[in-house]
Amino acid sequence: MRHISLTIRRAPHPWPAVFPLAGLLIALPTVLLAGAQPAAAISPEQEKLFEEKVRPLLVARCQGCHGDKVAEGGLRLDNLPAVLKGGDSGTILTPGDPTASKVLKVVRRELEPAMPPDEPLPAEEVAILEAWIAAGAPWSGPGTDGPAAGQDAIPADMEARLAWARERHWAFQPFTRHPAPEPPAGLDPAKSLEWGGLLDRFVTAKIVAAGLEPAPQADPRALVRRLWFDLTGLPPPADRVDAFAANPSEEAWRALVEELLAAPEHAEHWARHWLDLARYADTMGYAFGNQDPRYPFAWTYRDWVVGALASDMPYDRFVTLQLAADALELPAPKADLAALGFLTVGRTFLGNPHDIIDDRIDLVTRGLLGLTVACGRCHDHKYEPVSAADYYGLYGIFASSQIPAELPVIGTAPPGPEADAFNAKLAELKAAVPTHEEAVRRRGTTAAVAHAADYLVETARPTPRKADNRPPRLADDYDILQGLLDRVSNRIASAAPTDPVFGPWVQLKGKSDEEIGPAVAALLVGWGDRPDPEVVNPLVVAELRSPSPTTLRGVAEAYGRLFARVAPEWAGGPVANADDPAELVLLRAALGAEGTPLVVLPGEAMQLASIEEGNEHRRRKMEITRHEAESPGGPPQAMVMIDREPLSDSHVLIRGNPGRPGELVERRLPKLIGGAPASRTSSGRLDLARGIVDPNNPLTARMIVNWVWAHHFGRGIVDPVGDLGLRGEPPSHPELLDDLARRFVDEGKWSLRWLHREIVTSRTWRRSAVAAADQEAVDPDNRLLAHANRRRLDWEAWRDGLMSAAGVLDTHQRGGRGVNPLAQDAMHRRTLYTRLDRQDVPGILRIFDVANPDAATHERSRTSVPQQSLAALNAPLVVDAARQVAARSLREAGSADDGRIERLWRACLSRSPDADELAAAKGFLAIAGTATPDFGPWEQLAQAVLASAEFQFTD
Amino acid sequence: MSTQAPHSEAFTRRDALLRTGLGLGWLGAASLLETEAAAANASGPPASPPEPIHRSLAPRPPHFPARARAVIHLFANGGPSHLDTFDRKIALEKYAGQEVPGTLPTERRTGAALPSPFAFRRHGESGLEISDLFPSVARHADRLLVVRSMHADVPNHEPSLMLMNCGDSRLVRPAAGAWVTYGLGTENQNLPGFVAMCPGGYPIKGTENWRNAFLPGAYQGTYVDTAKRKVEELVENVRHPFLDRDAQRRQFDLTTALDRKHLAARAHDPQLESRLASMELAWRMQAEAGEAFDVTREPQHVRDRYGDDTQGRQMLIARRLVERGVRYVQVWHGEGQPWDSHDAIGRNHARLAKECDQAIGALLDDLVALGLLESTLVLWGGEFGRTPTVELPQPGTDIKEISGRDHNHHGFSVWMAGGGVKGGTAYGATDELGFKAVDKPVHVHDLQATILHCLGLDHTRLTFRHSGRDFRLTDIHGRVIEDWLA
Repeated sequence: MRHISLTIRRAPHPWPAVFPLAGLLIALPTVLLAGAQPAAAISPEQEKLFEEKVRPLLVARCQGCHGDKVAEGGLRLDNLPAVLKGGDSGTILTPGDPTASKVLKVVRRELEPAMPPDEPLPAEEVAILEAWIAAGAPWSGPGTDGPAAGQDAIPADMEARLAWARERHWAFQPFTRHPAPEPPAGLDPAKSLEWGGLLDRFVTAKIVAAGLEPAPQADPRALVRRLWFDLTGLPPPADRVDAFAANPSEEAWRALVEELLAAPEHAEHWARHWLDLARYADTMGYAFGNQDPRYPFAWTYRDWVVGALASDMPYDRFVTLQLAADALELPAPKADLAALGFLTVGRTFLGNPHDIIDDRIDLVTRGLLGLTVACGRCHDHKYEPVSAADYYGLYGIFASSQIPAELPVIGTAPPGPEADAFNAKLAELKAAVPTHEEAVRRRGTTAAVAHAADYLVETARPTPRKADNRPPRLADDYDILQGLLDRVSNRIASAAPTDPVFGPWVQLKGKSDEEIGPAVAALLVGWGDRPDPEVVNPLVVAELRSPSPTTLRGVAEAYGRLFARVAPEWAGGPVANADDPAELVLLRAALGAEGTPLVVLPGEAMQLASIEEGNEHRRRKMEITRHEAESPGGPPQAMVMIDREPLSDSHVLIRGNPGRPGELVERRLPKLIGGAPASRTSSGRLDLARGIVDPNNPLTARMIVNWVWAHHFGRGIVDPVGDLGLRGEPPSHPELLDDLARRFVDEGKWSLRWLHREIVTSRTWRRSAVAAADQEAVDPDNRLLAHANRRRLDWEAWRDGLMSAAGVLDTHQRGGRGVNPLAQDAMHRRTLYTRLDRQDVPGILRIFDVANPDAATHERSRTSVPQQSLAALNAPLVVDAARQVAARSLREAGSADDGRIERLWRACLSRSPDADELAAAKGFLAIAGTATPDFGPWEQLAQAVLASAEFQFTD
Repeated sequence: MSTQAPHSEAFTRRDALLRTGLGLGWLGAASLLETEAAAANASGPPASPPEPIHRSLAPRPPHFPARARAVIHLFANGGPSHLDTFDRKIALEKYAGQEVPGTLPTERRTGAALPSPFAFRRHGESGLEISDLFPSVARHADRLLVVRSMHADVPNHEPSLMLMNCGDSRLVRPAAGAWVTYGLGTENQNLPGFVAMCPGGYPIKGTENWRNAFLPGAYQGTYVDTAKRKVEELVENVRHPFLDRDAQRRQFDLTTALDRKHLAARAHDPQLESRLASMELAWRMQAEAGEAFDVTREPQHVRDRYGDDTQGRQMLIARRLVERGVRYVQVWHGEGQPWDSHDAIGRNHARLAKECDQAIGALLDDLVALGLLESTLVLWGGEFGRTPTVELPQPGTDIKEISGRDHNHHGFSVWMAGGGVKGGTAYGATDELGFKAVDKPVHVHDLQATILHCLGLDHTRLTFRHSGRDFRLTDIHGRVIEDWLA
């Protein structure tokens, strides 16, 4: 298999080179069991032992890694011949001879690798294995003669597995055009329309092959409503429905499609779908008490997505900007830097870098490729051709990237007093941070200098640590700081015995107190009356001379006086003068200058902070975040990611444990998508982006085409949408998916609008949602798409629908900071413009299945729980909308009942009531409760209509 | 979110076909909203059929016969001291005021041994030792399984809360209550299956403590602020803000009539039928949820036994919910981290225990009297315990006097009662001073595995496929502790 990997590494554009070859070069690693002996007959007792004890044990403890899915170490334990054959390292078991059987040593943990790896086998289970081997390893039932049919194991070796997977799995193979099926000869002309478009021919052929007829085209009114919600997430105005119903021509349909595709509301609606995939939220998740968890500028990413979709940005560029807008050769416009929010709006896991990177890797791989790579954090994937090295190749890319301390400003706030006030306040808050840091540095350094002797003694004669390993607290309640202690230790460790300042200490620090006096005396003698400043600083000599210390503590205190003498002026030291003698200047350079052991640099001040000061520091930073998140007048900033200096590669972390580094992996793409090495001079995000949007990457185009398809039809061609891997479901229409993906790239030039158009102008998309009896009988899940799927509005469309019926929705107000969608003063904003706290997603949003903002979501779950209906009956949102609908109907129609009912119906359902409904409404008004002036008969009528199924579903 | 296919809303058409002919007649049937994805198509090369995916709250059979059908988790958040409650350490007297051997790393600096200010007594026939903090709980000593050898991973609240509730310290995982309702559904469709009560606001980590994470949204815990007294404030959307029941019924009938007409024009449609059914359920839920959370419906003498205060009310609600078939109830002591006694442990623990002891005792009394304790697993504990050594003050922390204990994840106690566990038992032990679990140590994963076991669930089989792999509450850990089972 090795030559395959070489091919991959050499090829700059690996797809054409590799995929055709893959099929030729494979030799499936086999567990063919040529030499297996026929199973001997076994006694009922043996069968009982095996079936009741041994098989359950093997299933529960072993076969997860040594079974039909995976055979780690080439070993399978799900059939007798394989058990007898053993694994890559030889046989494991000798029937009848427990002592000769390696497997027993391994489970007793007497032999590495101890198995199972995580949790030792209980003694009683070891005993079962032993008894079974002693009995000659009797086997009964399935697995006696070899693996069950079709259960050849996925190779454990990654190169072999890659080749194997490319051979076997549709989504890892190139996607190509497919000829569309031809209509049957002599087709009834009335039916030939269903074979009109390329897309329809693939779908219709399968319907017909199943002995079914496609459903007729939907009623024009239903179609307009479906189209409006599908493309814009909003209900159609009633007069637009009437207009199309009056002239439901193909031209009118296409004009309507073009109009809606060009509408900003379309970009807003599909941006929300994308934000689910981008696990968008406006907070970092849980934060400590004195930290503001908000992202003040996450919304600039949301608005960027809307803008990109509104301009029909090609999908390959759309993805590239979101991964590497900062790194393009032809620099992207500044506004496009906001695209990088894709990577940065995730949860921050209390700052744990491994988890943050893991989140980004999962986002990029599962989100954009439909491939699960995140398992590689702890081990090679159990079944996908994805190794731990693949994971850590990506890990290095993200570890070489960071969010800068200062986010770039990508626009201007409207000038004026608001902006001036904002900027003045921001400058003040920002200045408060270094001011505080400087105060901490001053206090901390002064205290440290005063305890310089203690630091020295502690390095030479460390106080025994307790189990908590904290440095000691001194008699005056000063806590020795571990950070400074390390600096002092390191300085001394690197000082030569001849160092003019530290040399004497280096020579004395190891001596007992009895030895100190004579040793100091000897040193003084050696230096003579006029010590050579090259050998020893005269000021050190002076301190050691009069009077000479007789203990190590005494020596340290002499040094303490030296530290104090040259401490910075801001830390209590004397003023430095230009005419200071040379020995003083040199002493200052060693003990008092910035960067010396006890004098930290300004940027390191917080190393000295007490808990109190740390709290204050976070509080001041929180003030900045709060100001940026809340105060008007600030310019937008992009939540960018930039390359980090120095760039780094990552070791494989064994079992994901940062304390157990394995092999070093140079930054690169996963082997499955070519494995190209990343640039050595940048993080490699741009290389990653290019690998993903390579027109021949077999996953990217299939993923996005299937995703768009799923949002139009309620279900993907591949289902579930986000899993193109080995364990995902095969596509219902593989040729259609590949053909559409190929055309999307080649003809559509990655235009999402092209793709939408292909779909919503097809006959398939326009079919009626009413299922015929034979369609239900033959294809109850409607995988063949013989009819449309009726769909419940998602949360955003439902709320926007309520506000639209209420007449309060202002679709012209776009972008900017998010709002609380449940607040009265935000009723006019589209639900897209929600400020979402991932830590506290409101109950009503969850009830209506909004996406979990902690992981890339390709499609939302759709639950049906009574709390949804409870909301329709009682939620303040619905009640408020009903009051507005009632008021609006009065405003628009006056007080005559018929006209007002008509207006009410048209506002809520985009159509007029029929005679029955009119009568029912009038009847209701006559009997409705009147006791509540705040919610009279008209308000109640409005709510009854808003709570109806028709309001909440599209046909 | 899950990578699972949402499929159609409440029903697949296959489900619907099975029920054809029943029409709207099956409104309210227990399995009404049940829908499970069809097992994976076996044609994919290595695909094995995943476990079916549940999307409703309809009751489902456990993996094997269950001992318990409901859980009440009394969460003493903040970290109650085992040394002052359920794990007596005489050696602390001996070392009082002295430095102790074997101080382990915890969150903050601690000093000398701090003996408990509370007396311990033996209770019941079992002679279980319990401190005077919990006299009412102690009446039930012979029903308690006190686990004295719990241990967790780190001495910090946030990760330890996540571990105790969701089985992982850092990553976004579903809460145990979400897993249990996912696995078993719930017995009363008119009430939420998983309820988390916390008076006055959220505990730290907030809603993460009862999140559904990648499980469908229906399995998230429903938060109830039990500091509130009015039913409509306790349960979201349970009552119309303006309409009385009669007026709302007339409105509801109009909606139903519109819906039936809509449905009739669309032939048979399972989604629309399920929507009608869901409206009916919601209608009933208004009444039932209102009733269940309304403790004023209990006689005064019952409320007096619980104590007519916040803890009394929420314990009483817990009982009423379990009586009505709610699967998983969490009762948090209060907003933030009330049991976090870094100082004045004598005063603070005495106050906290006084707040809840009577109510917990009354809850256990009632569960016994109603015959519910056998099938209800009651769990009491925090996210960790506290140090046997006294915490030393540091500037910037809020401790004012040297009289408290720091966090201790090396060893702590929880107790369980009912639900098939052995009463009158102390299991495991900490070391001489109570710092570390040394005899039969029990990790939080083991506790969770055993709780699931009591509910008839195999913790290795209760899985959900997400991000390409099968997740479970106990991840790759956990063992069932058979010794606990009665």
